[in-house]
Amino acid sequence: MVYITSWDEFLDRSVQLFRADPDSTRYVMKYRHCDGKLVLKVTDNRQCLKYKTDQAQEAKKMEKLNNIFFTLMARGPEVDLSEVTGKEQTDAQPVKKGRGRKQ
Amino acid sequence: MVLLQLDPFLNELTSMFERSTEKGSVWVTLKRSSLKSKVQKNKLATAGEAIEYRCLIRATDGKKTISASVGPKDHQRFQASYATILKAHMTALKKRERKDKKKSAEIEKREGSSKRPKKS
Repeated sequence: MVYITSWDEFLDRSVQLFRADPDSTRYVMKYRHCDGKLVLKVTDNRQCLKYKTDQAQEAKKMEKLNNIFFTLMARGPEVDLSEVTGKEQTDAQPVKKGRGRKQ
Repeated sequence: MVLLQLDPFLNELTSMFERSTEKGSVWVTLKRSSLKSKVQKNKLATAGEAIEYRCLIRATDGKKTISASVGPKDHQRFQASYATILKAHMTALKKRERKDKKKSAEIEKREGSSKRPKKS
């Protein structure tokens, strides 16, 4: 399987894959310290999605994906992800306020 | 495979990261699981009872495998401590500065001209 280069594409397709077959989809994170590499994999044994990085800033994105999968798996695939992704929206709010002040 | 409680799991995961700094990798797998056999699941399904799912988390360094199960009540607390461990140990990843030093010089040149009109 070829690595997906776009994070957003990887994120969207991973969640889709899980929702399509929650019982057999797993999410694997592999970290190799000596090479400084991080590989994320989501597979349902038929399709395999992989994402590779060596950037520290990408670890934050991975944390978000961890949160998404913990929520999906512990609470069920029907759970509304807006709670998890909602945090991003609250992050974006201060920017809006900033714009307001300028006006 | 050993099924651990959440805190012992996190401790063991920490030592796995520490042991694999010179060579080797650490794998962490998340999977939705009811922790029941197929027979048990079928019984529940025929009885019309709902199957309770939890998030199974497994970690291995190639030699030892540990696992724990995270339920809907404790996933948020676990998630937070898990993220802290990852942050503390994923120190070999490249930081922004290294790549950006070359890039940022270029960006600064570009932004420098674009930023000034905005401020005024």
